[in-house]
Amino acid sequence: MEKARISSLQLFMLMTGFLFGSTLIINPIINAKNDGWLAIIIGGIGGTLLLWVYATIALLNPSKNFVEILRSRLGKVLGNLLALLYVWYFTHLASLVFRNFGSFITTTTYLYTPLEVIITIFAIVIVYAVNSGIEVVGRVSELLVPVIPVIAVLISISLVTIHDFTAFLPVLENGIQPVIKAAYAFLTFPFGETISFLMIFPHLNKRKNLRRVSALSALSVTGLFLFIFFRDITALGSHFIYQATFVPHITSVLIPGINLEPLLDVNLLIGGGIKIAICLYAASTMLANIIGADDYRKFTTSLLTFCVVLSIWIYENIFEMFNWAEKVWPYYSIPFQIFIPLILLVLSLIKKNKTTLTDSAEQ
Amino acid sequence: MKIKIIILLILPALLTGCWDNVDLIDINLVTALGIDKSEDGKIIVTVQVIEPAALQSTSSSQGKVGMAQTKPVFVESYKGETISDALISMKAMVDKRLFLSTVQVIILGEKLCREGVNEALDFLHRDYQVEYLADVLVARGCSPKDILKIQPEMDVIPAMYIKGTIENTELRAKVKRTMLVELFKDIENKCRQITIGQITKENEKTVNTEGTAVFKDGKLVGWLNQYETRGFLFVTDRVKNTIITIPMANGKMSIRVLNSRGKMDVKFKNGRPYRLSIYVDLEGNIAEYTGKKVLDAPTDMHTLQMTLSEEVKKEIAMALRKAQKEYSSDIFGFGKIVHKYHPQYWKQTMDQWNDIFSSLPTEIVIKSRIRRSGLIKSPMTKDE
Repeated sequence: MEKARISSLQLFMLMTGFLFGSTLIINPIINAKNDGWLAIIIGGIGGTLLLWVYATIALLNPSKNFVEILRSRLGKVLGNLLALLYVWYFTHLASLVFRNFGSFITTTTYLYTPLEVIITIFAIVIVYAVNSGIEVVGRVSELLVPVIPVIAVLISISLVTIHDFTAFLPVLENGIQPVIKAAYAFLTFPFGETISFLMIFPHLNKRKNLRRVSALSALSVTGLFLFIFFRDITALGSHFIYQATFVPHITSVLIPGINLEPLLDVNLLIGGGIKIAICLYAASTMLANIIGADDYRKFTTSLLTFCVVLSIWIYENIFEMFNWAEKVWPYYSIPFQIFIPLILLVLSLIKKNKTTLTDSAEQ
Repeated sequence: MKIKIIILLILPALLTGCWDNVDLIDINLVTALGIDKSEDGKIIVTVQVIEPAALQSTSSSQGKVGMAQTKPVFVESYKGETISDALISMKAMVDKRLFLSTVQVIILGEKLCREGVNEALDFLHRDYQVEYLADVLVARGCSPKDILKIQPEMDVIPAMYIKGTIENTELRAKVKRTMLVELFKDIENKCRQITIGQITKENEKTVNTEGTAVFKDGKLVGWLNQYETRGFLFVTDRVKNTIITIPMANGKMSIRVLNSRGKMDVKFKNGRPYRLSIYVDLEGNIAEYTGKKVLDAPTDMHTLQMTLSEEVKKEIAMALRKAQKEYSSDIFGFGKIVHKYHPQYWKQTMDQWNDIFSSLPTEIVIKSRIRRSGLIKSPMTKDE
């Protein structure tokens, strides 16, 4: 177990960057059309609760990482098995994010550059960052994540001349069902994915801040997405949003006189880089823990190579990618994001009650 | 250590991202795009390409006699199955890659518009190079190629000249300026039918951008003349500046409108719409007066304002009548209001909205104010 320590601010920045990640490109709330803002609010509140649960699990099992929690609560065999599944889940997630970014860049900017080249170059930087340790990733995020809201605000200000402030009306045109569906999809992507932070929580230097920091970053990301949604819908209208492949790209293209589109790419690279780095870190440290290896760095390069190959194999075309992100992912994630964490929470609570009971009995 | 340094030196070279790099000398900068349909149903694409080198020589050799003048632009067309097909196949006649991000003006042919613009817009929406803020126009009475072939004296590049005439619509409000992105917003939208500015060819050197093309379900159905266009622009709150001339006792007066705000509303009673309301607030100065009567009493200004309101009302009514009775196409976007504030009603009547729009009575309320009279108070020739 490495002795790295990250501060509360660094954790906040890491989480915000992670949550922002690729959600900007493939946003599940688009399916709710005009009522996307409702879906964001519902999903955001749900996401905050989910993060609260994850943080509580970490607090109930002090100084244990995810693998150790799984082992101590579910037994050695089952715990290791589930931990292996999580390794797969995080690797899969990292390759999905890779693919999202590759598709975005090959669609909008580099039409003739092969996807493989873009993804590989991206991967080299990330493996370097992860090998440098979680402290370095934390410091980098402290430096880069504040850029994200600045760019979002910059683009919004440039668009202030093109607006229709009532574009989000009418409310609930197609009933509540699509909103709930979109909100649920928004809950699993990105909020549920923060289960990977259970590998990072033990590194936090002030543990009492854990729940507050997680809830705060979930809420601030919700606010940012709400802001971006209103920007997009006032500038484009609901129909256009629904039709566009990559909404923020089109929004930034609308700015008269200046091309701010590269800033958007920067935004996505920051968020996506942090997201992949954390997934990779979580996957490799878990693998190291399961096997009992002393250093996770032995696994990073091989896992990332696997990710790169997987990300290229995983979809035939872009429609498959959207279909997966919107239809399959929310259900595929249920056991990883909700089931197992809830079981862990219940078991941890029972354990805690027992220990307090025995403690008081002894006294 | 050495290997590390070598790797570090190689990495920045990878990050420049110049795989797609194309040098300026290897591309043709397209400034204007013309799209039309031929008689046999194929797409004719016309491009206007500038030659940067020739541009420089024309601007530096102006006035010199005896030099071989190379033309700064060339115009080519090609017939293909689709726009992208025509653009790619055109390279049989054009030497370099066509670069579309510099397109300033897109001119659509009348035949294409009559048969529906949707198929043309798909390519423009999908292609990653196309500039979404390009201005779109419909050529009336001639093909887009005729328009792009003009050789204007005011600007070396015809596309820039055409764009200039559209941009100054904010001074005159007689042509509807439509950017590509606005078409994308409205094309599949039943709330508002699309309208595009009209362009005609005057002679070999000049074009005329006045009036508006009216569409219904993506198909061209008719035109608005310059006054109807202004009425339409007043309602949709797009008038910035314009001159309105009103008749006076033995003379005429022109009012320069400096400020105008248009608002629309659909009045509902018992869950059904019963009236379309239009409110316009405008403010202006006296720009010219050829009458004889001295205007000094406040009541004079009052009657003047009334006449101005009547004049604007007339233009709006003309535009409304054409849209309702002749073309039956909701170009104003009343459907948007119904959609936003009465979604249940909209859901049932979405497909018949244009007919409902045509049958509704209208109410036009104009409030105009004349603030100042320019540098002189009384008319040049007084009525003694």
